Amino acid sequence: MGDVSIVHTPVGKTYDTRLRDHLLALKMRLGSPIGLILPLVILLLWQTAATFQWVEPVFLPAPRKVAVAFWVMLTKQDLIFDFLASISIVGQSFIYGSTIGIGLGIAAGLSRKFEQFLGVTVDTIRHIPGIAWLPLIVLWLGIGAPAKILVIGKSVFFPLFLNTLQGIRSVEKRHIELGKVLLLSRRQMVLKVILPSAMPSIMVSLRYAAGLAWALVVVAEGLSGLEGLGFLIFRAQGLLLTDQLLVCMVVIGVVGFIIDRQMYALQARILRWQQGFKG
Amino acid sequence: MSVAGKLEIKSVSKHYDVDQNRLQVLSGLSFDVHSGHFLSIVGASGCGKSTLLRLISGLDDDYEGDILLSGEHIYGPSLKRGIVFQDHRLLPWLTLEQNIGLSLENTGWSARAKKEAIRAQIELVGLSGFEKAYTHQLSGGMAQRAAIARALANKPEILLLDEPLGALDAITRIRLQEEMLRIWRVEGTTMILVTHDVDEAIFLSNEIVVMSSNPGRITKRFLVNLATPRDRASAEFIELKRQVLVELHLYRQQSKDAQENGIDMASLI
Repeated sequence: MGDVSIVHTPVGKTYDTRLRDHLLALKMRLGSPIGLILPLVILLLWQTAATFQWVEPVFLPAPRKVAVAFWVMLTKQDLIFDFLASISIVGQSFIYGSTIGIGLGIAAGLSRKFEQFLGVTVDTIRHIPGIAWLPLIVLWLGIGAPAKILVIGKSVFFPLFLNTLQGIRSVEKRHIELGKVLLLSRRQMVLKVILPSAMPSIMVSLRYAAGLAWALVVVAEGLSGLEGLGFLIFRAQGLLLTDQLLVCMVVIGVVGFIIDRQMYALQARILRWQQGFKG
Repeated sequence: MSVAGKLEIKSVSKHYDVDQNRLQVLSGLSFDVHSGHFLSIVGASGCGKSTLLRLISGLDDDYEGDILLSGEHIYGPSLKRGIVFQDHRLLPWLTLEQNIGLSLENTGWSARAKKEAIRAQIELVGLSGFEKAYTHQLSGGMAQRAAIARALANKPEILLLDEPLGALDAITRIRLQEEMLRIWRVEGTTMILVTHDVDEAIFLSNEIVVMSSNPGRITKRFLVNLATPRDRASAEFIELKRQVLVELHLYRQQSKDAQENGIDMASLI
């Protein structure tokens, strides 16, 4: 029993190193302070332009006014509600689109027959932009969330499908040969060799698709529906509430930034076996 | 210790048909590798020595003649025949121990036996402490040791080594030759090594087979009866090296004449 303290020291890292790793990861996610210079310059320019009224205040309100508008929208209006509505649509589209994209991508990657079966259909539909589908789908499903989820999910699906397929097709022959020498079953070959080697390609497209989905939700909500950040931004334009419009733009940008950094962190974690995936 | 198998190669030939032209790669190869022996195949690039190893590994079944391991015809790849490639071929997404574990997937051993075999192999090749390392964290020499450990983990009857040290620098190569000798002594597995390096072949083998190309065939066999551990700088070692190099047409006879006749090379320049 006297050994207890010795027993649990080697388990994992000490608190200090964990904290250090955590801070390091946080720093990597936010980037070096040098990345903050440009945003500050832009803010300064904006302030200057507003102060000297280079642009009419109705078209370019001062940063302070925008900050106030943000506070009002947050506390007295439904900014949170609209934000959650957008996030919910993006989240669902992303999950459905990427699950089906990766699933069918794997199936097509493993079976040439299935790839040929899908080929013509996929390559045609892929060239009709999601936004071009929206009017028809709104006619069918109405202006609620399902139509948007379908359209954005379609836009998430294609990069995932194509990159999963591509990743599986570019698995190295010598690795397959190794699997044969070790008598791996089909299942083992897929799980231990083929899928891991497609993973970098899948992760890149996941990150790309997450950003794409977030950008598209704004467009989709602007075109139809009565809630979400996209709806707010177009309503603000119509009512000439430029301060609110700018609030929405900044929120969209910041959330997009956070989504991208989170996806990057996930990518770095899953692909930690890859050489040089730290810089 | 594994059961060492005896390998018999009987009149093995191999050809490719390229646009109705018959390209003979191997022609009438016959030799045996006795149980627990270490045989090296040396020859210039393109003499078909790696092709022969592929046939023995079972990756290529399209040949004439017979290949038998422990009296049985080989058919397709088998865990009885381990192989080490020139590139280490570790899977980069697996840790060292997972890579070695991959060769135990289909042995039917218990989890405990697998774990123990992995530990023992890592220790045997001197990589203890690197169990959780990914491939990119290993040096070239360490990766090749890991590849040897993977090939030996399931106790094959024979180990096929396809220029396993070919991509390493000269110093690491000599270190690993000594390691391989030690590993062979411990495991007792029958070994076939394909190499360009005559020193390596002499240092490691009981027997050397020299191959020449167009078509790939055996031109000479040397038994290596030097005492072990072998001294790379001894007269016997160098004499055998000379004979093998002559067989490979890589030795300039005139310089030997010059030495024997006591001509001062410097005065000729």
